[in-house]
Amino acid sequence: MGRRSALLGLAGLGLASHSPAFGQAGAFSVRILLTGGKKLGTPRDSGPARWAFELVRRTSAPARLGSASVSADDPKLLTEPFALWTGAGEIPPLSRPEQRGLERFLKLGGVLVVDDQDPQRGTFGLAARRELARVLPASPPVKLDASHVLYKSYYIIDRPVGRVLGPKALDAIVRGKSAQVVFLAHDLLGALARSRGGAWSLPVEPGGPRQREYAVRLAVNIAMYSLCSDYKDDQVHAPFLMRRRAGRGP
Amino acid sequence: MSQVSWAISEDLPAAMAAAIGVLAVISLILLVVEVRRAERLRALVMISGLAATACMLLAVLRPVRVEVTGTEVGPRVVVLVDGSRRLLLPLGDATRRKQALAAAEALRGHFESSRVSVFEFGQGPLSAVGDPPRSSSRVESSDLSEALGELLTGGEEKPVAIVVVSDGRLTRPGERLDESALRTTLPKSSTPIHTVRVTDTAPKDASVRKVRAAGAAVAHQPLNLSVEIACAGGLECDKVPVVVRELRHGALPAVLAKGNVEIRDGEGSVDLSVVLERAGERIVEVAIDAPAGDEIRDNDKRILSFRVTRERLRLLHVAGRPTYDVRMLRTWLKSDESVDLVAFFILRSNTDDPGTDDETELSLIPFPVDELFTDHLPSFDAVILQDIDALEYKLARHLPALAAYVESGGGLIMVGGPSSFAGGGYAGSALGRALPVEMSDSEKPFDLLEVVPSYTRVGRAAPVLRAVRELLGDELPTFVGSNTVGPARPGALVLWSHPARKVGNEAMPLLSLGEAGDGRSIALALDATYRLAWSDRGAEAAGRAYGALWEGLLGWLMRDPRYEGARIELSDRCFAGEPTTLRVTPVSGDKGRIVVELQRLGVEGAEPKEHSADAKESGHVDLPLGILETGGYTAKVRVGDAPPARFDFACERGGEAWADSRPDPERMKSIAAVTRGKSATIAELKSLPQPAATLVASERHVTAVLPPWAWALLAAAAVGGHWYVRRRSGLI
Repeated sequence: MGRRSALLGLAGLGLASHSPAFGQAGAFSVRILLTGGKKLGTPRDSGPARWAFELVRRTSAPARLGSASVSADDPKLLTEPFALWTGAGEIPPLSRPEQRGLERFLKLGGVLVVDDQDPQRGTFGLAARRELARVLPASPPVKLDASHVLYKSYYIIDRPVGRVLGPKALDAIVRGKSAQVVFLAHDLLGALARSRGGAWSLPVEPGGPRQREYAVRLAVNIAMYSLCSDYKDDQVHAPFLMRRRAGRGP
Repeated sequence: MSQVSWAISEDLPAAMAAAIGVLAVISLILLVVEVRRAERLRALVMISGLAATACMLLAVLRPVRVEVTGTEVGPRVVVLVDGSRRLLLPLGDATRRKQALAAAEALRGHFESSRVSVFEFGQGPLSAVGDPPRSSSRVESSDLSEALGELLTGGEEKPVAIVVVSDGRLTRPGERLDESALRTTLPKSSTPIHTVRVTDTAPKDASVRKVRAAGAAVAHQPLNLSVEIACAGGLECDKVPVVVRELRHGALPAVLAKGNVEIRDGEGSVDLSVVLERAGERIVEVAIDAPAGDEIRDNDKRILSFRVTRERLRLLHVAGRPTYDVRMLRTWLKSDESVDLVAFFILRSNTDDPGTDDETELSLIPFPVDELFTDHLPSFDAVILQDIDALEYKLARHLPALAAYVESGGGLIMVGGPSSFAGGGYAGSALGRALPVEMSDSEKPFDLLEVVPSYTRVGRAAPVLRAVRELLGDELPTFVGSNTVGPARPGALVLWSHPARKVGNEAMPLLSLGEAGDGRSIALALDATYRLAWSDRGAEAAGRAYGALWEGLLGWLMRDPRYEGARIELSDRCFAGEPTTLRVTPVSGDKGRIVVELQRLGVEGAEPKEHSADAKESGHVDLPLGILETGGYTAKVRVGDAPPARFDFACERGGEAWADSRPDPERMKSIAAVTRGKSATIAELKSLPQPAATLVASERHVTAVLPPWAWALLAAAAVGGHWYVRRRSGLI
């Protein structure tokens, strides 16, 4: 417990400077990817901190509670292997430096989550796919199978949900054996956003506390996937997971 | 002396002489036919015809008298002494070899009038017996067929007799060959081969006759050994116990298998299954408990070196919490098809609240710490402990076993983090003795200062970091904090150190390598090596420095020759009681003094002996290790500042050559019999026949018996006489 408190404390320090301390260098951090100079606005700008908080509260994984953003053409993109690209509506085409930055990030093995804040319209999601097709022309998105490790990296989840119920499956660009770009049409950050008073900023649709909980679980699973990749695909876990899925019923 | 002989005229070609002979025979046949037709004087016709034919023949052949004057020299006799190491077996108060060499000397005396050459045969070309003869031999086989081939089919003067001195237990010709098979294995020649039998009596001896492995030795896989045991010389054997042990560093031999061999007709065998857990050169002893009366104890055990390969590198990766560093290491390990990775990460601690009490909603499984660190531990080639608290996750009680695992040849890497080293409760634990750095729990377990590790002198010379330096130069990325560790243990090497923190007078180690018993360990007091890929510096090398570091660390841990400071081998096989020389070839770039620490395997607390020499600019250096006794040895070789390389080897007194101590007098007799030679014991060697002397000509005189005109006149007269007789007999 002592170490855990220390880490949360250190994480708290990280809010101000976003500079990690020992034990935090490899901590999960939701970095918002900026393209075309667009920044993340309220209320979703509180989402990354909530995401990190829930991860630390629920799991042994360290996380940095501070919010950070990084431009696609900034060399700092290549200092951590996780980034979240979120938005709503059309986005301008990526510049050449931005394309190169993203390409290097993905070739180093980074994980990029694309989260559409307005999935009903889906404009951002489509635009992001279009731009990523220019970055990785040989790797089109594919639908992730229900057995993909993202559905079991910490929680066993049946389908992805966010602020909205969204599609039942996740799409991803898979390179090698790992899903490196995950497309969410669920407004995950919207489900995590909280006001300063501590209330959830945006209502979930169609609604209910279970949906919010499942959205948080999806966020935790994505974080766990970015921290230990396909660990839960290891053979040693297979019999346990099969029994648990069977025990949950249809 | 001179020698007289007769010949035909030297100006007559051999073909012509033959044609004339044929004509003479035809003439005689016709003569016989004619004589039958004669009415009278038949005998006279026959006699005159014979005389005429003979005179005609002599007139053409014109015989000459050849007188050769010269000196008589002794015939060439070659004595072949069996040079195999087998002849070092004891015989009476001496050895078979001493007896054989004495017999060779006696043969020189016996063939006093012959030109005697004495050679040793065994393996490869014949070698001269030195003066004085060598008392030992390193040759393990006795190939008489090859030796005879060299003597009898070479371009040199062929010997008129060969004498083989041996105990008959030859490699070739093999045993139990019948006469025709024996002939085919010996070169075709009319030279008689005499044999002198060193001994006809088998000693009372129980021995490990043969050890055969079914296939190659692969780490963690059962290997079947077929062990043949024999009792000879009338030694009474019933059941002979056999034990197979692995000789390890700094520990008593580990028993791999045991069995009993039932001896029938002097022989028996047993199949034993052994598992060698560690890859590389492993030294295995196969020993019997010989019954009382066994006269030769040195062949009661074989000490064998097995080159154990591994199908895949089996690694256990245990992490106390998931981080980017954990992800990076896992991803890198999984990307290598030759790695069989078993990973356990602690995803939830006791204080975490997953938001549900329903375990079926979670994909978590219990951390099987007891199972992993008891039953399965030996099956791993290496263990990586990454930031895991030994106390919280009940690893502490397994640390003595983990230390023993390293000492018996396993690999260990402790990767830094708040719960590593002293922070994870490892200070003062049994594992401390297996790690290359000391730990103290009296200080803060980790430091928050940003740090750029400095290469030490050893780090710059180490092949393990060569690739990282080639990619990043000497400037490493900045790391956030480090574990607080103590000084390097004696013999450990520090590759990276802290530029600001000190332990005693030395900079605090950040990356250290060490050896513990048969195993190796690495202490990495940093928690973010992923920054070798994910940082400004790392990105400059396209992230390749990360893989370069871990490939080097794992390679060194698993004794990959690419990361060793030197290539090490024996200049020749090691035999107990004889000088042994180690050949060290430093890898390019490594210079300085070569220091060898030689230590006996399978002995607790064996004191290492040090040998040293200066490295050459290029090429190898031979380091005499002195005279060694029977056993397994490990040589730790350090070249200059580079981390040490290790080489394990076996040393036997007799080896395979002593496995069968029985002489084979029957084979010696058969060889003599099929070559029209004679077989004798040493006591009987004076009975060997003396070959005839050879005359070497210094002058040769050729004198015609009659001048050619006289032969012609004689022939004409004889033919005329015959013609006259034929007329009188009514044939004309």
